[in-house]
Amino acid sequence: MIKKIISFLCIVLCLISCQDKVSKHDLSEVFRYNEKDNITSLDPAFAKNEPNVWATNQLFNGLVVFDDSLNVKPCIAKSWSISNENKTYEFILRDDVYFHKNIAFGKDSTRTVTAHDFEYSFNRILDPKVASSGRWVMQNVKSFKAVNDSVFRINLQTAFPPFLGLLSMQYCTVVPKEAVEYYGTEFRSNPVGTGPFQFKLWVENTKLVFRKNPLYFEKDEKGNKLPYLEAVAVTFYADKQTEFLQFIQGNSDVLYDLHTSYKDELLSPTGILLPKYKDKLALDKTPYLITEYIAFFMEGETVDNNLLIRKAINVGFDRAKMLRYLRNNIGNPATGFIPKGLPAHHQENIDLYQPEKAKAYIEQYKKETGNLHPSIKIATNSSYTDLFEFIQRELQGIGLNIELEILPSPILRQLKANGKLPTFRVGWIADYPDAENFLSLFYSKNFAPQGPNYSHYKNPVFDELYEKSLGITDRNERVKIYKQMDSIIMEEVPVVSLFYDEIIRFKHENVKGLTTNPTNLLNLKKVYKTK
Amino acid sequence: MISFLIKNIFKGFISLFGVATLLFFLFNLLGDPSRMLLDQREDQEQLENIKIKYGLNLPLHTQYFNYLNDLSPISFHSTHQNDYSFLPKNKSRITFLSTNDFVGVLKFPNLRNSFQKNDKEVSSILVETLPNTLLLAVTAISIAFIIGLLLGIVSALQVNTFLDKCIMVISTLGMSLPSFFSAILFAWLFGFVLHKYTGLGMTGNIVEVDDFGEGTKIVWKNAILPSIVLGIRPLAVIVQLTRNSLLDILSKDYIRTAKSKGLSTYVIIKKHALKNALNPVITTLSGWFASLLAGAVFVEYIFNWNGLGKEIVNALNSSDLPVISGSILTIAAFFILLNILVDISYSILDPSVELK
Repeated sequence: MIKKIISFLCIVLCLISCQDKVSKHDLSEVFRYNEKDNITSLDPAFAKNEPNVWATNQLFNGLVVFDDSLNVKPCIAKSWSISNENKTYEFILRDDVYFHKNIAFGKDSTRTVTAHDFEYSFNRILDPKVASSGRWVMQNVKSFKAVNDSVFRINLQTAFPPFLGLLSMQYCTVVPKEAVEYYGTEFRSNPVGTGPFQFKLWVENTKLVFRKNPLYFEKDEKGNKLPYLEAVAVTFYADKQTEFLQFIQGNSDVLYDLHTSYKDELLSPTGILLPKYKDKLALDKTPYLITEYIAFFMEGETVDNNLLIRKAINVGFDRAKMLRYLRNNIGNPATGFIPKGLPAHHQENIDLYQPEKAKAYIEQYKKETGNLHPSIKIATNSSYTDLFEFIQRELQGIGLNIELEILPSPILRQLKANGKLPTFRVGWIADYPDAENFLSLFYSKNFAPQGPNYSHYKNPVFDELYEKSLGITDRNERVKIYKQMDSIIMEEVPVVSLFYDEIIRFKHENVKGLTTNPTNLLNLKKVYKTK
Repeated sequence: MISFLIKNIFKGFISLFGVATLLFFLFNLLGDPSRMLLDQREDQEQLENIKIKYGLNLPLHTQYFNYLNDLSPISFHSTHQNDYSFLPKNKSRITFLSTNDFVGVLKFPNLRNSFQKNDKEVSSILVETLPNTLLLAVTAISIAFIIGLLLGIVSALQVNTFLDKCIMVISTLGMSLPSFFSAILFAWLFGFVLHKYTGLGMTGNIVEVDDFGEGTKIVWKNAILPSIVLGIRPLAVIVQLTRNSLLDILSKDYIRTAKSKGLSTYVIIKKHALKNALNPVITTLSGWFASLLAGAVFVEYIFNWNGLGKEIVNALNSSDLPVISGSILTIAAFFILLNILVDISYSILDPSVELK
């Protein structure tokens, strides 16, 4: 019996001590972050959500990028020219950009990027068999062609000033044909790009590791090669408590998107970092190019889309109070549809909250329609229940009854796209940092399900201004038109803007060089950690 | 025995057919999964491409047939490459029928490819996650069985004493604690607050990867907390079952005879009472083991254990129907297999039981 117990313990000890070689690197060389929403693919053709975009941004490059101030900068394209009434873009490529070393390239294991690679990558986005979610990026593109190894030309059907913004998206990054064909459907988990980091290992739902790309072409201002970090490690804790506590324990370097359950642990009611964490953590806050809003389906005549009801809702609840008590002041009360951070945003400090005016609108509605108990139903998903319960209570105070319909996201999305919901919550994130991206939601040729105009809002004056803006290359002139369009939206209220989100990021004090930008793109090439 | 096996396997296939049919029609009520493959922008042309790619543009009855055809080991496929039912060359098969337009093949059940993970095979996902869930379930049920049995025996031998009452209170508490609550509590208490003393983490998998992707190691201690949490409820049930069953056995005449012969309590329990008392416990164990496979969802989610439960949650959030369907069918198959094994084990434990 004793021999059996000893044998058992020996086996257990052997199993406990089973391990491969352990890394010799220091933890200050690796940047660790958590992705609670899971990464579904490392293929940039499927960079459709933030987790995928952040990961692919470390591995791939495109023709151009945006800097933190939202200015277009060269990337693989070192320069470009625009001609033919702003319909032809010609890019001159760098000749020192190499793909990550990979067996797919044969014995040389790498090669330089050429214009033909961009032609291949763009064709891939359009390929129906690939079924990329980024196909829409090319909808205004008439043709594209590699003129030679260094010159890539794109012709548009109509002028589109924000086009360079589209090219900065992950969908438009370059991939090598050899690797895509070599790996086939496994390219999603064996990505090969040109980015500052290269793929090392992915144990799905457990850990994703990137390593420094020794062939990366960019250098810092002092001529040092980028990136500074040796590795990036991504974990996938789905539980918010676990994510939060892992960050507090020092097992991850940043924490984004603080859940409401834990906001009071780190932030004061006014949204400032609590004193007990001031020596250990840093808080970064930046406007995020997201507008959260309530949309009304404008077709047909219903209680929901009555102008007086819409106006009453727009001025009937206190946005500042909602953000203060439910989001610890994370976010900015909406004053228009274009979010803070874009030049066309309404800069004036206006408070839309006017409860007496709201009551007056309701009374007027009751007189005009004879409906003494107006009631509407707002559809949303469970993540926004607390905000909408607040709005519900506020609007009940002005005489409007609100019912909430909480739906799972897939069903909400389907009903919204098919015009089956009279009133619903939407959040619009900037695909690229230009106000046109937000205003296109009201262009009548973009009716859902063909486009993102979920409200089916139609206004010939608005449409005319929108089409006019597309022909103007001067940014300041375009901003003036965008402001006019935003004013029309505020006046006609096809949507009620709730707030503009903010990027809230906590990081440990030893993390340096991590900047924020209004598109919330994670850029790690200049990040380093002190010991 | 062979006729028993054949009959029960056949019944199992009928059950799986029922489960597959139910899943198919239920999921068609969950909303259009193809929309979840778009980004925030609606693009009708793109939506059509996605639907064609996954056969979602076909009439419902055709989709149902294709679904069953993929799952069935005996299936029929079009020879035209553009048809959805075309079987790619890299899929293993034994062809038993071949015409110009279709072939009949014997093949492994095809659980299809994940929508969200760019066509990663569902079977690959199961291979990655199912062993982790099985390990968790086996460890949990082993802990529950060993400790539950011991406590049940002690409780039965010390019936109506203070010790017996304490064990019963703990058992009742264990049965009433929901698994997600105990998971959060244990993770926080032992993995965070007492982390310095326990050395246990709030999260982890059996195989850990270092932050540079160079080293992997097996970390058995990561299984401790999730297994204990998962095993709490079956442990509580086994304690009570063992106690009650043993009390019943210990009141029998043949036990009194054994006592009167001067046999020790240890020998009486080990040689005479326990084997007979185990019948209801084995029945419970099998049911619990199967339900642990399905019920590990919360525990895997909280502890970030890379198992089937966590995969199902992710798939449900993104309407990844092939993953949901494949996972549930796999769990159903396990239930069926376990029931067969339990019936066989009865006949071994109790020779008077005949397999029919």
